[in-house]
Amino acid sequence: MGLDPIGYRPWNGKRTQHERRLFIISERIVREKFKSTPLLALFVMGMLLVHFFPLVMYAMWPHAQLTAENMSSYMQGGIFFIFNVLLVSIVCSDLISEDMRSSSIVLYLSRALRPEHYLLGKWLGAMVVICLFTLVPPVAVGLAITATQSGPDYLASLGVVGQTAISGLWTALFLVPVGMLMSALTSKRTYAGVGTFMFFFIMTVISSILQPFSPDWGLLSPQIVLNDTYAVIFGMHLPANTNFALLALMVLVLTVPPMWYVYDRIMRKGVGK
Amino acid sequence: MGGSSSDKVGEGMMISSADIEVRFGNIVALDQFSVQVPSGIVGLLGPNGAGKSTFIKTVLGLVLPASGTINIAGLDPRKDVLAIRDMVGYMPEHDCLVESMTGLEMVAYFGRLSGMSLEDSIPRSHEVLDFVGLGEERYRLTGTYSTGMKQRVKLAQAIVHDPAILFLDEPTNGMDPVGREEMLELIGRIGASNKSILVSSHILQDMEKVCRHVIIINNGRAVTQGPLQALLDQGEGRIRLKVRGAPSALTSFVAKLRQRFQVTSVSEEFGQMTILLLNREGSGVVMEMAINEGVQVRSYTPDKITLEDVFIRSVKEVV
Repeated sequence: MGLDPIGYRPWNGKRTQHERRLFIISERIVREKFKSTPLLALFVMGMLLVHFFPLVMYAMWPHAQLTAENMSSYMQGGIFFIFNVLLVSIVCSDLISEDMRSSSIVLYLSRALRPEHYLLGKWLGAMVVICLFTLVPPVAVGLAITATQSGPDYLASLGVVGQTAISGLWTALFLVPVGMLMSALTSKRTYAGVGTFMFFFIMTVISSILQPFSPDWGLLSPQIVLNDTYAVIFGMHLPANTNFALLALMVLVLTVPPMWYVYDRIMRKGVGK
Repeated sequence: MGGSSSDKVGEGMMISSADIEVRFGNIVALDQFSVQVPSGIVGLLGPNGAGKSTFIKTVLGLVLPASGTINIAGLDPRKDVLAIRDMVGYMPEHDCLVESMTGLEMVAYFGRLSGMSLEDSIPRSHEVLDFVGLGEERYRLTGTYSTGMKQRVKLAQAIVHDPAILFLDEPTNGMDPVGREEMLELIGRIGASNKSILVSSHILQDMEKVCRHVIIINNGRAVTQGPLQALLDQGEGRIRLKVRGAPSALTSFVAKLRQRFQVTSVSEEFGQMTILLLNREGSGVVMEMAINEGVQVRSYTPDKITLEDVFIRSVKEVV
């Protein structure tokens, strides 16, 4: 403070299109996340433990071409899933909760920005950050294996790389809604982060307790659901006892209702409920 | 759009609503709400829960009315919500700053969300932060700001995209007297640049200083509206008369006054009677009556009506 008062001057610039403004939200999320030391530490550790060793191992191992089995087993690894859940918990924890806590959501919603654009902007920002772990490294691993293959069928290998890219994208698509749901349920980012991790953990524990009674209970585990969908994407056979309809239902339950709830919460916040 | 939105508002009514009804379940937040909001600085007054915030949200298109018509600079919030929000700036009452950003980052960010390019938003943010009087503090995280600084940043984010219409909800809330004066001066300076500003506040002295037009809301209805001066002029000719004398003389004097003037209030304390009357004939007639009745006139002063009087009267009338 303490500056000499100046006169108010109008601004005569050209406004950007309404639909493009959601990217400003996404861009900010990506910038903010990569300023976060804990997230960067998790990223580096995950890169080493989850992606770097398979990259070296698969690339050095004599191989004729990249196979769907190789990439499927790499992505179905428990450590990949654990790091994905940790990442989603951290990345999504403050997406909505922080705006609710500080009431800055009111500033967003009073702008020429539809609630769905706000939500889409947040979702896209989280997707970009998470895909940097779930999509880019597996594709790089796939390309490295393809580049070092001894066989001539590069096209088939590239096909598997494409399936890997879809799987990586799907991983983020599958996990982000629950992270956003937790972030919209509370105005404390810590609760949201821990809540997301505990949700996946508890669902896995319940699933393992109930699975002996019926294999269908296994689908309560998000990890099993995700692994089964990898099998579908890589064109492999699902385990014999998998109920496909139930699998589809679980995919739907874990993705659509959470996002719907987040949207509803934003709409309600907009009108002050 | 840019500056063109100002032209749309022009000198006419910036907001007009007729018989608006907004419900939240069984609660009627706005009931047959009709207002004409002209350009300039307009005060929106009302007790807590009167419907001020609901009205602002309705204008912003955040709440849809169940019935009635509303238009903002010729646009309907039900159809042209984004176009309206491009020409509107909103400063909420409560804290709403993004605490992980500096003042400068936040103002530039919301400028971009209002349609400014990155290249435009940064110099413009510096400009409006200079305007609101936030110096080097703009490089500090907003979470560390004092109440006064927060109010200034909130104002800066509301004006960064140069809106034609500005909603200020309790802009002087929590500010010290000097800060309050500075904020009112800023509002006055923004209002002088062909902007329409709707200010909602409980501090009626502040409203009296900056507003040209006033709307008083109670129980979801606009109970009084009009130019501030016209509302205050309703008290023209009101006289506060203090007299002393024998009780019988005083009684007779009041009776005589009643025959000739409109006496609005009579009270007596420690032998002194205070009479409020409407007299546009001059003091001579009253003095003559006093002499004739043998009462002593202790004071004869014009009784100015304040915005507070208008507000209390309007609210009580509805109750």
